[in-house]
Amino acid sequence: MLGIRRISTTRWWHKKKNWLFFAIFLFLVFVRLSKGSFYKDIYYFISKPFWPGQFQKEIVLESIDQEYLIKLNLLRKDNLRLRRILSLQESSNNEKISAAVISRKTGSWWRQIILNKGSKDGVEIGNIVTGPGGLLGRVKDTSLFTSSVTLITSPESKLGVWVDRIQINGLLVGLGDDYPSLILYSKDADIKVGDFVSSSPASTLLPPNIPIGIVQSIDETLKSKKTAKISLLAKPHVIDWVQILKVNI
Amino acid sequence: MGANFESKYLMNKFFSKKISIISFILIPIIFLWHPNWLGFLGVQPYWPLFWLLPWSMINGSINGLIFGLFLGLILDSLTLDDSLTQIPGLIFCGFLFGRIKLYSDNLVGHFRYGLICSFGSLLCGTLYFLQILLRNFSNSNSLMLMASVKNILAEVFLTGLFAPFICSQLLRMFKFSRRKLQ
Repeated sequence: MLGIRRISTTRWWHKKKNWLFFAIFLFLVFVRLSKGSFYKDIYYFISKPFWPGQFQKEIVLESIDQEYLIKLNLLRKDNLRLRRILSLQESSNNEKISAAVISRKTGSWWRQIILNKGSKDGVEIGNIVTGPGGLLGRVKDTSLFTSSVTLITSPESKLGVWVDRIQINGLLVGLGDDYPSLILYSKDADIKVGDFVSSSPASTLLPPNIPIGIVQSIDETLKSKKTAKISLLAKPHVIDWVQILKVNI
Repeated sequence: MGANFESKYLMNKFFSKKISIISFILIPIIFLWHPNWLGFLGVQPYWPLFWLLPWSMINGSINGLIFGLFLGLILDSLTLDDSLTQIPGLIFCGFLFGRIKLYSDNLVGHFRYGLICSFGSLLCGTLYFLQILLRNFSNSNSLMLMASVKNILAEVFLTGLFAPFICSQLLRMFKFSRRKLQ
């Protein structure tokens, strides 16, 4: 009896210390296999309060914004000067009217928004409406206090646009969904996904160089024309404030 | 206190009598409001049918036809498509709804409203779509077809979903105000 007890206490697995060493060994194996990710994650949380804060990020972003703004202004002035020299149409420099969207129909048959500025505020039929990102549509109707805008996604909308990379004019036609169709009347046009589309300098409805969208996909080439789906830069279903541009074309 | 009570009573009487007119005025407002949280795939239920069904069921085909025309005129004035109209669909629905008899079994009736309104929405949507197709005959393509089918199906689904709740309530209110008038 005594002999049995002695044997059982001398087995290695009955010693706590051995198990401890085994656990440490397993942990080290885990650390090795995970290439220290455990430590890195711990370090992530420990060092978090000492990171370069949001404040620094804001300063950097603000500086970048200012730089872009200055560049944009310089380019705009250049553009204006060159257009004057070439006697081309000028972008509208007239007043802009800020307006809020008070009614929005962007997902059904009717693709329109109603704004809280009307003829009382100087809005006229044919004025251009832009939002963050670019062109949204044209004012189709005004009342004393409101104006109704036909969106470029509406089947009623047909606009002349410009594909800058291949220097070609096209027609942007609303289809009643979120992606209007770009029609290029040349089957050899080398349009690619990602091409930028803006308002055409030749358009009689829009001032030139208003950003519109990006080519999302290219459809099959028909007999004499090429069509592409355009993803709009300005999203009419989320924009609450817009700018109405008074156009002098 | 007495005067206050009397004015409240008169107001209640006025509202219960004119509920059909008040709800008629509210339709264009809801149509413009276009609450996104009630939509499905960005599409809203076809609101005018919710009013037109109970009205036509109570007042008959001719009344339904006339008010279908009125609704169409108002809603067309709110939308910007000059060459497309909702009038044919609403007139047709108003006339058809007027031929439907009031059902005695309430539960079946509620579901029946859903089915009828879905059918009406399908009719109005298809008529509208045909107008778009005719108008853009030369430019029409499969993308336009897909968007329109999506619009019609989503509208049919939502109209059928909401109709049992809204139509039965409106029908009850219209009946109540009519009884009071008589």
